[in-house]
Amino acid sequence: MAKLRHLVWMLIATAALALSTSQGFAQNRPDADEPGLVADDSYQLDPEWQKQVVYYRTNEAPGTIIVATAERHLYLVQGNGRALRYGIGVGRDGFTWQGLVNITKKAEWPDWTPPPEMIARQPYLPRFMAGGPGNPLGARAMYLGSTVYRIHGTNQPDTIGTAISSGCFRLVNNDVADLYSRVPVGTKVIIRQKPEL
Amino acid sequence: MRTFRGGLTIGLAVAVLVAAAAITYERYDTRTLKRTVRRGEVLCGVNKGLPGFSNPDDKGNWTGFDVDFCRAVASAIFDDPSKAKFVPLDASERFKELQNRKVDILSRNSTWSMSRETNYDLYFPAVAYYDGQGFMLPRARNVDSALNLDGSKVCVQGNTTTQLNLADYFRANNMKYTEMKFDKLEDVVKAYDSGQCDTLTSDASQLYALRLNLSKPNDHVILADIISKEPLAPVVRLRDDDWMMIVKWTLYAMINAEELGVTSKNIDEALKSKKPEVMRLVGTEGSYGEDLGLTKDWAVRIIKHVGNYGEVYERNVGSGSQLKIPRGMNQLWNAGGVQYAPPIR
Repeated sequence: MAKLRHLVWMLIATAALALSTSQGFAQNRPDADEPGLVADDSYQLDPEWQKQVVYYRTNEAPGTIIVATAERHLYLVQGNGRALRYGIGVGRDGFTWQGLVNITKKAEWPDWTPPPEMIARQPYLPRFMAGGPGNPLGARAMYLGSTVYRIHGTNQPDTIGTAISSGCFRLVNNDVADLYSRVPVGTKVIIRQKPEL
Repeated sequence: MRTFRGGLTIGLAVAVLVAAAAITYERYDTRTLKRTVRRGEVLCGVNKGLPGFSNPDDKGNWTGFDVDFCRAVASAIFDDPSKAKFVPLDASERFKELQNRKVDILSRNSTWSMSRETNYDLYFPAVAYYDGQGFMLPRARNVDSALNLDGSKVCVQGNTTTQLNLADYFRANNMKYTEMKFDKLEDVVKAYDSGQCDTLTSDASQLYALRLNLSKPNDHVILADIISKEPLAPVVRLRDDDWMMIVKWTLYAMINAEELGVTSKNIDEALKSKKPEVMRLVGTEGSYGEDLGLTKDWAVRIIKHVGNYGEVYERNVGSGSQLKIPRGMNQLWNAGGVQYAPPIR
């Protein structure tokens, strides 16, 4: 009996150690996803990244999403020279892409199955994680075309304004829920990158 | 007799021409570039103190959007941004001092208007900053368009074009308002901060500066709507084309650099670029700088020392500054704004 209890404690300690080292490891990497971390809802975004209505002149129809990756802003075109602007986190170097896609699917508190390429790069990631507050995809996800990329929430609000992701665009959970309620499946999404030299 | 009269006519005509030429020569200065080069510095007329645009610290170091533009002109000519010397000028004396050749250029939040060009014999080469009248109001009111301001109490400075624009805008959109007018700007702000009015109207760039001094800055928003045209531009003397071209293309080089993705950080990489537009900008193709009376690398000098338009904007009035003014109309034409430069080719 004592032996069994000893064994159980050993297992728990090993698991805890493994978890803490993998998290410590993750924090030092540029691609540090932190599955399990619960988003701090009281986190105050810098004014630059707070949702706001801004002047925005475009030929795109109201309801179109324009992702300006170099600026770290996502615009939802409102028409009449205005857009709703959100602060975002974008793909790190080597994980940038551009073009026109549509929102093909929407999900609340989505599950996360990191794609095989991502597992290969970041072996510490779980193979599957159920949706919830500790999930890196956050409160909502909007799937972009047939790509592996999404517009989603985050459990790391302090990464808004940075280039850290594997090609996805992340918003804080309040903002992604707001955007989610405004755009239907089929919404046109234009992704822009800074010009190449 | 006839020949005498003919000779007299010709003589008179010549005298008139010479006099006219002399007067024209006096009236129009065409030697600013030569004088600047001989002197070894550019004399820039600037605002005495306007955070974000031109502001000296207690050691006399100047910072700001207008200051950086003048440093860009100095960089293009001398490859040295410190060759810009700043001369603080009042609003009332600025145009006269430029005409009197006390400065080579005004880089001092001056609104470009027709009468200022025609009445003062001045020239505004290009718009550096699109400003215009806007509205600030408490975030809690949850208003996101100026068209929702019907029935508001509006704080405004009296006897200004701001007050007239306000009246025009509300009348044109069939909205009513109560005007809360004050002579001094600080009284306008005090009245707004103590809740005496629903909204405050002034030029947008000023609203962002005024917001910093409110008791709770983050509780207030500035609407995206701009209801008047206040194009802020550098100013030079009329008919000094060589100089005017340098000032104009300095600004356009900065805007084109941003559009092409050339920054102070990647300028060395840009010099190796094989993209024709980038090559023309950095002078690895063509003789655009020489044609301007400068060197091949004129734009490289500007970008290396001062940065492209976006870098200068963000550093002084945008995300990197206290003001945090969104790019708005000053974003590039292909990214939501109206800032547009003719191509270098």
